Amino acid sequence: MATTSTTRGLTSELQKGSQLDQQAKAKKRAERRSKWIWRLAGYAFFIGLWQFSSTYLVEDFILPAPLTILEEMREIVSTGLLVEHFGATLEKIAIGFAIAFVVGSAVGLLMGTNRWWEAFFSDWVLLMMTTPGLIFVLVAVMIFGLAYIGPVVAVAVTGFPYIAVNLVEGVKAAPKDLNDMARAYGVSRFNHLRHVLIPFLAPFIFTAVRYGFSVAWKVATLTEVIAGNEGIGFMMRTEFQTFSMAGMLSWVLLFFAFALFLERVVLQRQIDRFFRWRPEVTA
Amino acid sequence: MSSTAAVARRPLGLSAGLRRFWLNPRTARALSLVAFVGGWQLIIPFLPTELIPTPIEVGEFMWAELRTDTLAPQTVYQAFATSLRRLVTGFGIALLIGTPIGLLMGLFKRVDYFLHDFVVVGLAMPSLVWALLAAMWFGFVEQSSIITVVLASVTFVIINVAEGVRAVPKDLVDMGKAYGASDLHRVRHIVFPSLMPFFFASLRYGLANGWKGLVLAEVYASTSGAGWTIRYWYDAHRAQGVIGYALFFMIFALLVERLVFGRLSRWVFRWRPSAGEQRDTRPHGGAGGDVILPESADADS
Repeated sequence: MATTSTTRGLTSELQKGSQLDQQAKAKKRAERRSKWIWRLAGYAFFIGLWQFSSTYLVEDFILPAPLTILEEMREIVSTGLLVEHFGATLEKIAIGFAIAFVVGSAVGLLMGTNRWWEAFFSDWVLLMMTTPGLIFVLVAVMIFGLAYIGPVVAVAVTGFPYIAVNLVEGVKAAPKDLNDMARAYGVSRFNHLRHVLIPFLAPFIFTAVRYGFSVAWKVATLTEVIAGNEGIGFMMRTEFQTFSMAGMLSWVLLFFAFALFLERVVLQRQIDRFFRWRPEVTA
Repeated sequence: MSSTAAVARRPLGLSAGLRRFWLNPRTARALSLVAFVGGWQLIIPFLPTELIPTPIEVGEFMWAELRTDTLAPQTVYQAFATSLRRLVTGFGIALLIGTPIGLLMGLFKRVDYFLHDFVVVGLAMPSLVWALLAAMWFGFVEQSSIITVVLASVTFVIINVAEGVRAVPKDLVDMGKAYGASDLHRVRHIVFPSLMPFFFASLRYGLANGWKGLVLAEVYASTSGAGWTIRYWYDAHRAQGVIGYALFFMIFALLVERLVFGRLSRWVFRWRPSAGEQRDTRPHGGAGGDVILPESADADS
């Protein structure tokens, strides 16, 4: 008898528990639903606002209707202009960013491990970070010309401080006890680097790459706007000069979509792959 | 110049006092300046152009500018004053618009869902785009530069205010209530201090991005200001002018960083017990801690 009452008590407890569980789940679901409803409402509101103001409030050349832009974007993609100009810009970014990465990591490691070198570089790194990209673009283009080296140098110079700064942080936060342990156990220098330092630095490096990359995009585009004969920035300038708002907005949106795709999909996939050794990946 | 560099590399043979002098971070900072100017002077013969001026030529240009002896329509003081006025006006407007929106987003989840994606797009938008759009919409008027600043900085204000509101320690507010602290007292001593780091983040990133947008807006849609003046020298093919102005920009940024942010944040965070000591307890000990790090994930070029 006593046993049955206990079991009954237990089952009712369990039922209550699962009820609570279900309630929590339902609440979560409602929460998610409200999130999506409000988010979609946001999109609907802004696109509606755009449509409304372009039809009733302002002239078409000030703000073309969303459909006009979509049409224009379709044309840019179908005529192959997109691939041509994105390729040109991407190439500059790739080379410039590679240089920035190598130099930035070297300087960052030096700064992180040595106070003297930190003092040596810190003012310049700070200055390079706060100086508007335009300044570097003008100077780089003036020294190295418009053709190829100028834009690449501009990208490298603006991307460099972001990488250096993040690496300094990483090195400073490196687990000293693990380093000491590795030394005590006689781990070889290469193994130490491969299995202790690099895995630890990886998140910092990825943050650095993210920052640096988003800056590199902007600067590469800027160089082309100032002085270039191909690339996204060049197309933006062309649309600007011919005062074609539809063309301008289309290029901006395409630029945006592409940058987002590269960062969120391509880079993120690399990051996930790199961190597959971690038990839980929450990226 | 070269002899000092050589000495710096081999401090071992020197007496202990001199050695300490060389190893002092201050020496390193001074030396980096020397190395920069020296490297500049040395690299000139190897550059593919005759255009590049020597440090002395640029120094002369800058000195003449500082004495207001210039060919450009605006002296360096006028140019930076014009730009600064636009920046402050624009950022003030951004604060006025962004704070209420940020408050709403921080307090009500639905508003957050409604606006979040658009704020993120605004954060990631290159300031170049804002500058070009403002130029196309408003033309060569004062307003287009100011509007560029507003557009480029308002999302930073919004996101930071929203984060700050969410981070207000509710338990401390409750405790204040329990201990009978007045509303004003609670806002002044709990809510305000906890909002401050976020306010500073919005100030730093908002102003930085606004400044970058402003310079571009001046290049494309203005006939005055620091950005326009550097463009003036660029169009005139005067390399001293461009590099000189580039250095003015750096000096300006450094002054703002040191004087405004340094002073202000020290004053606002004076209640923190160990803001200075914290640095030295880090594993490798930061030297001076002068590198300002992007704390939020939304730092921008």
